[in-house]
Amino acid sequence: MDFIALVLQLVLDTSASWVRMFIALGISVLISIVVGIYAAVSPKAEKIILPVVDILQTIPILAFFPFALFVFVVILPGYIGINAAVIFLIITSMVWNIIFGVYESIKTIPREFLEVSDLYDFDRFERLKKIYIPAAMPRIVEQSILSWSIGLFYLVTSEIFSVGASNEQVKYGIGVAFASLAYQGAIPYLIGIAVFVVFVIATRFLFFRPLEEYSTRHIRSQQKVQQGNAPRYERALLGWVSRRISSAPMIIKSNRIVKGRKHISRVPVVEERRDLKILGYAVVVLLVAGALYTFASNPVLLGYESQVLPALAASFARVWLAFAIMLAISVPLCVYLIFMSKYGRKYMLLFQIAASIPATILLPAIAVTIKQGELVALVVFILSGIWYLIFSIMASVRTMPQNVFEVSRIFGVKGTNAWKNIYLKAILPGLVTGALTGIAAEWNASIVAEYFTTSGVTGTTNVVSSVGVGIGKLLDLSLAPGGQGIGLMMVALLNLVVMILLVNTFVWKKLYNKVTKVYAG
Amino acid sequence: MRDEHMKMITLEKVSFLFKNSNLEIIDSISFQANKGEFISIVGPSGCGKSTLLRIIAGLITPTSGRVFFGNKEITEPNRKIAFVFQDFALLPWLTNQDNVKIGLSRSEMSDEAKDKKASELLDRFGLSGFEGYYPNALSGGMKQRVGIARSIASDPQVLLMDEPFSSLDELTANSLRSDIIYMLENKNISVNAVIMVTHNVEEAVELSDKIVVLSDKPSRVKEIIKVSGARPRDKRSKQFADYVDRIYSVLAQD
Repeated sequence: MDFIALVLQLVLDTSASWVRMFIALGISVLISIVVGIYAAVSPKAEKIILPVVDILQTIPILAFFPFALFVFVVILPGYIGINAAVIFLIITSMVWNIIFGVYESIKTIPREFLEVSDLYDFDRFERLKKIYIPAAMPRIVEQSILSWSIGLFYLVTSEIFSVGASNEQVKYGIGVAFASLAYQGAIPYLIGIAVFVVFVIATRFLFFRPLEEYSTRHIRSQQKVQQGNAPRYERALLGWVSRRISSAPMIIKSNRIVKGRKHISRVPVVEERRDLKILGYAVVVLLVAGALYTFASNPVLLGYESQVLPALAASFARVWLAFAIMLAISVPLCVYLIFMSKYGRKYMLLFQIAASIPATILLPAIAVTIKQGELVALVVFILSGIWYLIFSIMASVRTMPQNVFEVSRIFGVKGTNAWKNIYLKAILPGLVTGALTGIAAEWNASIVAEYFTTSGVTGTTNVVSSVGVGIGKLLDLSLAPGGQGIGLMMVALLNLVVMILLVNTFVWKKLYNKVTKVYAG
Repeated sequence: MRDEHMKMITLEKVSFLFKNSNLEIIDSISFQANKGEFISIVGPSGCGKSTLLRIIAGLITPTSGRVFFGNKEITEPNRKIAFVFQDFALLPWLTNQDNVKIGLSRSEMSDEAKDKKASELLDRFGLSGFEGYYPNALSGGMKQRVGIARSIASDPQVLLMDEPFSSLDELTANSLRSDIIYMLENKNISVNAVIMVTHNVEEAVELSDKIVVLSDKPSRVKEIIKVSGARPRDKRSKQFADYVDRIYSVLAQD
């Protein structure tokens, strides 16, 4: 009986989470259609929307959750506010890649279609209904599948986070369930994971698969010829990661928009990129200058800053140490799977499923078992990021020249020669994109990894694991009763965002550009 | 008459089936490449020519039959047999010089000696000054020169070429063909047998001593045609046209 009650409870919890997910996905798709189409048809809007979306999607939005929770609870009454905050957060994780998907499909509509709509004098609504939306549909579905797995990570993490504050807890949800399951032993926890995985797989096959088939029914045969048999999900992920580092117009260029509408093809692509770059730098410089000025003239802010900087430094060290460990595991593993094992490619499906299960569902169990704050944080960081890294490296097989295996066998490339000249260099593009997304996932996990409490479950303040200092912990505590409040939080977020943008601009973008320049062709 | 020690590559009833579909690709192919010979394998596209060449290279194991290099059976790639790829197969992340050095992987030379040899080879193919560039920066014809430089770096005795000119435009292909003829006729090269896969009949007649004509699905040897005449050959001569016509008619037979 207990078992049945537990499973029923878990199904109820997961369903509640899924309702939040579906609402978030629906809103994300609507926003994407409006924003994506607007950006694609209006050159002026394009110039503003693209760089803004580009920056927004590289920020670890989960760090904003305490802030969002604060705002929504102030605006909306209790339970509704909390749910709105969770849904808002999921939307912010889902929406960016769908916007780009819509934008790119509209930009690549063959000119003939638009000429047809001019010839038959379609009005705006007809154009939208008969051309834009059908053209964008396959990409919307493709990107939604990806958004779903990104969203799950945010959902679980934000629900788990909400447990920390007893008065602001999400009532039903799988994340909440895991926090209490952690106290009930291994078997219930494993049952919880099993229910979750069944939901993930069922959604993939019962919801997305039919949708995917419906949305691509008219182009499937054609695409098979063009795209080979690369799985759609994999392609979507690759597009997503590369967009996270390169600016969107670069990708449009590779899609050859020459066929697009007149006013589109008149916009010189290279110039646009420079604009974006300058805009990006300007934003960074402006932020830094503004921050410096405000801080230097305000002792309170200066006080905040003196707390934030050490916390940021500590988290930075943690995140990068975890990244180093991730590298040490995934590089040899992937090299083995790609170059040495006969069955390497067959593991891809396994990785896909593993990657779509958010690592943070393990957090409560890890925290309750290990308890040692630093170690918990490190383990959760590694688990949050490593799938992106492995997945991305494995996917780089597809960008490798076909004959790389034959070349190494024909010329007998072995040992250090092979590591130096083939293995490491062949996986470099995948490694760069995987590192970027992996590290972003780590930062996202920081609000629960560095400081995990289950006050909402146990009723009393109960800090399960906590690091010494860290930006995630600082964000959590600033919100808690007796914390220093919204001022400190905003200073912390500002610092985090500036740091992320700086690292992206000066490390990842540079590396990515260098790699794509050499490797393309 | 050619005596026994003159034979370089021998195929004995080589057959190949696709494991999954049990589709027969290659059916009992036998022929021999002797010292000093340039052999072309021609046949309809998709007939398994490239698979056959990979079997000779030791990249693929035949379902039945054997391939010999001299008297030794080929079971895996070896340094005496080099391969030129249709799409060049240069590693994009290595400079041209490092790509040529890949051809010296089995060599015991010091790294400096490899560097020296690689840049000599690039120089020989008219690519001096491009050592530090990535393949990306080169035209198709230049890329294939790097590919050929890489393949002959280890002083192989047999050169296998898989449609080496078909990714190039006609002008570039022509000049590269002349370079190959020049390279082989001026005996300062270790290579003393070439087997080339092509679907271009004129190209085969221009370069070859022997042309192995294959049938389609499965591949069988239809006929082996000997081509005489010193190279470079006059493509406008009647003799040349006769050879071309004869091969086309063999290809068309059922």
